Amino acid sequence: MEIVVALFFSTLRQAAPLLLTALGGLFSERSGVVNIALEGMILFGAAAAAITVNRIEVASGGLEALWIPWVGVLVGALVGGLVGLIHAIASIKYRADQIVSGTAINIAALGAPSILLQVLYNNTSTSQEVKNRLPLISFGFGEVSVLVLGAFLLVPVVWWVLFQTPWGLRLRAVGEHPQAAETMGVNVIRMRYTAVILSGVLAGIAGAYLSIGFLNQFIRAMSAGAGFIALAALIFGKWHPFGVLGATLLFGFAQALAIQLQGGDILPATIVQALPFVLTMLVLAGFIGRSRPPAAVGKPYDK
Amino acid sequence: MGRYLFLIAGAITLVLMILSPWAVPMREFDGTGYLLNPLGAMNPKGLALPEGLSFGWLGLFFGLWAVLLLTASLVMFLPGAQMRARVLYVLGGVGVLLFALEAYLFYQAIAAANDAALAAGARRPPLRRFALSLGAYAGLFYALGLLLLARMQLPGGLAFLVRLRGVVVPVVSLLLAVVVGAGVVAVLRPGLGTQGVEDLGLRELIAGKLDLVTYTFQILFSPILSLAGIFNSLSFATPLIFTGLAVAFGFRAGLFNIGAPGQLTIGALFAMLVGVYLPLPGWLLLPTAILAAALGGALWGGIVGWLKARFGANEVINTIMMNYIAASVLLFMLAANEYSFFGNKVTLPFKAEGFEGRSEEMQEEARIPHMIDILAPNSTFSWALPLAVVAALGVYYALRRLELGKRLLAALGAMVAGFVLGGLVPGIPVTISSALSSQLLNGSFLVAVLALLFYNFYLFRTAGGYELRATGLAPKAAEYAGVNLKRKMIMAMIISGALAGLAATHYVLGAGMDGTYRLKTSIPSSVGFDGIAVALMGQNMPLGIFLSATLFGVLLAGGVSLNAQLGISNQIIQVLQALIILFIAVGGFLPRYFTDPLRAAQVETEAKAEQEARQAKSSPAAGD
Repeated sequence: MEIVVALFFSTLRQAAPLLLTALGGLFSERSGVVNIALEGMILFGAAAAAITVNRIEVASGGLEALWIPWVGVLVGALVGGLVGLIHAIASIKYRADQIVSGTAINIAALGAPSILLQVLYNNTSTSQEVKNRLPLISFGFGEVSVLVLGAFLLVPVVWWVLFQTPWGLRLRAVGEHPQAAETMGVNVIRMRYTAVILSGVLAGIAGAYLSIGFLNQFIRAMSAGAGFIALAALIFGKWHPFGVLGATLLFGFAQALAIQLQGGDILPATIVQALPFVLTMLVLAGFIGRSRPPAAVGKPYDK
Repeated sequence: MGRYLFLIAGAITLVLMILSPWAVPMREFDGTGYLLNPLGAMNPKGLALPEGLSFGWLGLFFGLWAVLLLTASLVMFLPGAQMRARVLYVLGGVGVLLFALEAYLFYQAIAAANDAALAAGARRPPLRRFALSLGAYAGLFYALGLLLLARMQLPGGLAFLVRLRGVVVPVVSLLLAVVVGAGVVAVLRPGLGTQGVEDLGLRELIAGKLDLVTYTFQILFSPILSLAGIFNSLSFATPLIFTGLAVAFGFRAGLFNIGAPGQLTIGALFAMLVGVYLPLPGWLLLPTAILAAALGGALWGGIVGWLKARFGANEVINTIMMNYIAASVLLFMLAANEYSFFGNKVTLPFKAEGFEGRSEEMQEEARIPHMIDILAPNSTFSWALPLAVVAALGVYYALRRLELGKRLLAALGAMVAGFVLGGLVPGIPVTISSALSSQLLNGSFLVAVLALLFYNFYLFRTAGGYELRATGLAPKAAEYAGVNLKRKMIMAMIISGALAGLAATHYVLGAGMDGTYRLKTSIPSSVGFDGIAVALMGQNMPLGIFLSATLFGVLLAGGVSLNAQLGISNQIIQVLQALIILFIAVGGFLPRYFTDPLRAAQVETEAKAEQEARQAKSSPAAGD
């Protein structure tokens, strides 16, 4: 019983960053822009949040206050949004290949934080540990970070925005048939910019959760493929918020299981760690249902 | 518009000449320098120059440059393109000459001072770290810009530039990346030697920052200045050639292979298994191990290709997933000996004794020798390799009449014969410095060159390669013409993976990682990602891939010294690569006729029409 509860909460903790990132990716891909840069956006957000909180702590002489981690989340979201803006400018304004541009951001996310870390902490792979982590919410038999709860509450909100508001309808139209949407008076370019920046903001928040919620410091490449798994969850979830919820829970469960099995004598940890990735590939091969992407995804828009 | 851009470029050049150092005759190891500028030297840490060293002539050059800049700025307002072009050519030539003169005078003065000191009994030359600096380079770049602008004034100037777009876009992207990278360094670090200096003036502050970024890039490019540095750079470049070819091969087929890291890892694993365990006769072991590396990569790429062909699964995400799986497999094999499956103990033999995750050593015959031992075994320059290259090239070009397959076969035969014969010719004794003999460049560089040749011949000289390129450019048209798209897709991923897997020859069989003939869990598989930058920068062309891999090899080699001397993380290279990829993706912010082949063709057509119209006008009789 105890292990089931532990596994349950571990699943929530593992799924939350995937969910936040995948919901962000949902906006971007629904608007017709492939966002393979989610992985990098998580890392930039994580680095920004951890460094911000640490700097505030250093400047204030080790102050501990409730608002400090939230400033970290805010900065993480802003930096994520900024990276989103770069991806948007490249792929919308300059019509870059969206996968190439995203890859550039992912590679930058491996190198750029290290340069800053070396200047600040004389160490290229980790930031200093922070004391002000995001608050936890207790459920009696287990506790999770506030952001975990927030991530799950965001699912119905995203569903409502996408499927119940005019803005959501326009967004989906832009991703399916931008020319038609344009004729109906929708500003395709602005919709896409908004959507890609939004995806960066959400991925940045997911990063902030990793560095100051799940852990208490930034570690180089700490996202460990979360952005890519989120992309797979998007495909598995058929580009629908509730589908994405189910997919991220499944992937989160696989990761939680990997952690639970570590150190035990059932399966070697290195094998278990590969499970989510194998699972992702099986999903992508369509062994578990076909899914159809938005029709205009990946194509630069020409009036 | 263009006119004002040109004026702005002139203004920036002038500002750089006023603010930045022109030359640095001496530096400490930490980079603190004595900065020379025509408007006054900057010397924050009070370094003392040797007696009699004077750089008063810099003021004269500043005056000359000012005149040149002013004249050039006025030229653009001259009427008549021919006239403008002529004056710009002259001014550009004068500028290049001025720069050459500066360089000559500067290095002459340094050499004289060093000789004088040595003659006076100094044990080491007093000036060791010296170089021209940004102020002088700004002039050179401006002069080169003038020459280009002159060509642009002449008829067909734009078409000339557009025809060179395969070079223009990467070069512009590289320059932009350097500028942004310089900005990052300047923001994050204090100027060299200015840290802790009280009441630093604004001018000193700016000059210090400009000096910092110039020196940063001077260190990054410094490996090209010595033979050992070149060897070191090529050793970094070797795996990049393989992974760059792998990514480029995918691009050519319309596939984005981000899986080079995983393919390299599995290739390394296969090569290790053959190299350590397979009991083969000596002469067969090395070729088998090399093939095994290719096979491992081919398997890892082929799975993704098959999944795409069979199920339409996106290759981008799948290759990324395969990277993580490969990393897990490597750890599983080499991080520990004992595992338990559902309580049953299983022992694996692969991990060698010790704390580190590493394999046993390769068998003697499976090792690729170091380059220096191929070129000059036992400190004797051997004619084997040069003769092999000459013989192969000679036969290849002599047999123009033969069909390609036979021609290549004959060239291969000539190469082997040349190698054997060259080995029999008595060599020349040479002395090899310890800096050179310690370099990790090994025979896998030659394998990389062969891979480049394969890429070139397969893609551009065979029907299969033609079909592959057609598939990448227009899959539907290719299918209509009878190409089996699914088979092509799988095959493209297999070959792409094999090329990436061959990178393992450098790390495992050639001991290119740290000089030990083993596979380690710390194998730098991320060079697979660097291959993306190499392929994009090289525009998927063989020569381009070689050049861009070499460029990144130089930067990576320089990054090691950068870390040691200035404490700037060599991750800056990774950021530069990312920036280059991003800038190439956006076409270097250039107009679309530089990136869109259709629009490029349009520019050419217009230029041709213009030229014909002009000819018709100059000889009216011929026009009718």
